[in-house]
Amino acid sequence: MPTRLRRPNAAAIVATLLAALAVLLAPASPAAAHNALRAATPAQDARLATPPTQITLEFLQNLSPTFTTIVLTDASQRKIPTGEPVVAGAAGMVTINQPLANGSYTVAYRVVSADGHPVQGSYSFTVADPTASTAPDEPASDASDASSHRSDGPRPMLLAAGGIAVVAVIAAGAVVARRRRSVS
Amino acid sequence: MPRTTVSGASRRPAILLAAAAAALLAVGVAGCGSSDQPSTESSPTASASAATEVLGVRDPWVKAADHGMSAAFATLVNDGDTDVTVTAVATDVSPMELHGMSMKDGKMVMQPKEGGMVVKAKSTYVLEPGGDHLMMLDLKQPVQAGDELTFTLTFADGRTQTFTAVAKPFTGAQEDYEPGHGDSHGHDQPTPHESTSSAA
Amino acid sequence: MTSRPTPRPVSRRGLLTGGALTAGALAGAAAVAAVRTGEPSAGPGGAIPVAAVGSAVEPFHGQRQAGVATAPQAHAAFVAFNLRPGTDRAGVGRMLRLLSDDAARLTQGRPALADTEPELGLLPARLTVTFGFGPGLYAAAGLDDRRPPSVADLPAFRIDRLQPRWSGGDLLLQICADDPVTVAHAQRVLIKDSRPFVTVRWVQQGFRRAAGAEPGRTQRNLFGQLDGTANPTPGGPLETAVWVPEGPPWLRDSTTLVVRRISMNLETWDLLGRTERELAVGRRLDTGAPLTGAAEHDQPDFAATDPDGLTVIPDFSHLTRAHVTDDRQKILRRPYSYDGTPTAEGHADSGLIFTSYQADITRQFLPIQQRLAEQDLLNEWTSPIGSAVFAIPPGCPEGGWIGQQLLG
Repeated sequence: MPTRLRRPNAAAIVATLLAALAVLLAPASPAAAHNALRAATPAQDARLATPPTQITLEFLQNLSPTFTTIVLTDASQRKIPTGEPVVAGAAGMVTINQPLANGSYTVAYRVVSADGHPVQGSYSFTVADPTASTAPDEPASDASDASSHRSDGPRPMLLAAGGIAVVAVIAAGAVVARRRRSVS
Repeated sequence: MPRTTVSGASRRPAILLAAAAAALLAVGVAGCGSSDQPSTESSPTASASAATEVLGVRDPWVKAADHGMSAAFATLVNDGDTDVTVTAVATDVSPMELHGMSMKDGKMVMQPKEGGMVVKAKSTYVLEPGGDHLMMLDLKQPVQAGDELTFTLTFADGRTQTFTAVAKPFTGAQEDYEPGHGDSHGHDQPTPHESTSSAA
Repeated sequence: MTSRPTPRPVSRRGLLTGGALTAGALAGAAAVAAVRTGEPSAGPGGAIPVAAVGSAVEPFHGQRQAGVATAPQAHAAFVAFNLRPGTDRAGVGRMLRLLSDDAARLTQGRPALADTEPELGLLPARLTVTFGFGPGLYAAAGLDDRRPPSVADLPAFRIDRLQPRWSGGDLLLQICADDPVTVAHAQRVLIKDSRPFVTVRWVQQGFRRAAGAEPGRTQRNLFGQLDGTANPTPGGPLETAVWVPEGPPWLRDSTTLVVRRISMNLETWDLLGRTERELAVGRRLDTGAPLTGAAEHDQPDFAATDPDGLTVIPDFSHLTRAHVTDDRQKILRRPYSYDGTPTAEGHADSGLIFTSYQADITRQFLPIQQRLAEQDLLNEWTSPIGSAVFAIPPGCPEGGWIGQQLLG
């Protein structure tokens, strides 16, 4: 029997956390006319039943291969090995060189606009393969599903925001799962 | 913010030292081109025969020229107690005379100095463009910038002294030294130049 | 001067009031006395009171030429010359003897021989005149086998937009002083005496902060960046990086110089936000600290990542691409800003006269320049528009002349 996250007033919490998520995902550069992320695969906030093997990011402007960085980290901020970015037009792709266990991941990118302005940002997605076990290094994990939450502790603001984002994803996912269960 | 001021007690020696420094600087400026040079370092190109140095020869130089006339300059220093009179000067590449400005028929003209150049005891005598100089009347070969020329001074008592002077561009590399014009480019006085001899 | 008074620090407010000028003269006299006895000049760490700026002297004679390790003066003129056809080995020698004598006098606050404006030669203001020999000088003298091998035209870089009017040269005179009138007079004297032998190829005039304005501070370029933080420190590291330690007499105590005119596009630089500028450079603009540090001289941590996994210092930043750890690979940068006439639209013509001294251009300068040409985001806003290389020959003793070991 899966343990449930206790969520008093779940809808309000999710709304607040998604608002924080929106702020988190704003690009680091304040400039508006610059290269911005248009679409991503895996998409931001995606919850994937099978682990992805590559990340593709599409931007508004063409990328320069010399100035394109795409980085993948896991919930413990450990870097996941990825290939060198392959750039085609406004799209950049990296292969993920390690099978991803269940858990949340952060994609971070740093690219340069056509006028040379550096742009960077990040977003998260979750791998939740029902047939796989939980990532062995997830802290305080004694559950096999994604509803377990992060342990608390003093952390820099960005990391806390990331934690909020993960919780938001989990909370949203748990809401969906609850609805599914009640329907089925 | 707290004020920082110079205390009255320490001002006095500071003023004295500043006055001394100002005085030294004034002497230095005034001394340029006249008797006292603030520096006692010798010019790298000045040399006098070690054996019989009658006069100190400071900062000698000669005008570079391809042909025609030229001149040599220096500051002559007499550290002795008696006046020294230079009666002649010679060099290999040109006949020479001692020349200076003097009045003739109501005009200032460049001409050979009657009685030579008298360097008074304990004083200096400046040879410079527009003033007294060692005239080179007719160059047998070009004097190129950077050449080192040797000159021999003859004194009233028969003694001689040699010194070396470096050739400096003074009129500009492309301009010829025009015969009949008294002096270098840049001097105001159009002085008719007269030569009564072509003594070697 | 008999006794040497203790130098008294002069407050900024004190400098502006008459009362402290006497204190300034006190400290100034001490500073002048210190230099004239051969002690090292007050470097950027020592405040030079205003009264002493004009009279301060840098030695001319010595084993090594001045103007390289010398604390950079506020004003500079780099004058490059072409040898006239027909200037042979003997001619080059005559020229260098004349110019060395001019430099020896003017740097010590004495007029040159036959100086038509002798009063302009009385304030040395830390004047240095540094002689550089281009490849053409060695060729004209028939001494190409004595040219340091790394003193040769640089390979072309992708980022180059070189203009002949700012490039090349057979002879260089680097004229630096804390007073611009001193520089102008020295330049005039030296050009007049060089005319029989050479023609003027180009002149690049530049400036830094005025003497004493910001003592002890790394200077800023016109992008507002602190420029020169990672220079090899005086002493061991600078020795190793700059001076050729041994070899034949014309090489020992020599160094090499690269002069590149870097045009800065201030118009497009203006479009960047402050954060973007700092990402491009890799350093904070206010303190000059690397983005991973807190103070200017903190060592950058190129591996440090932010919580998202991106390196805090972008790998394309100027700091990352230019970074050198080995003292033997470092270069000594001694840049001056230039500020030309803006266009009618007010667009700037500004940039950096980038100068770099190193024992070997090939071993030390080229790898850095190649890394920067391949990747350095700062290239978006800069463009090399001129380039020249020179050997900086050894110094000369009293009575000697620069180049005597090569041509004598």
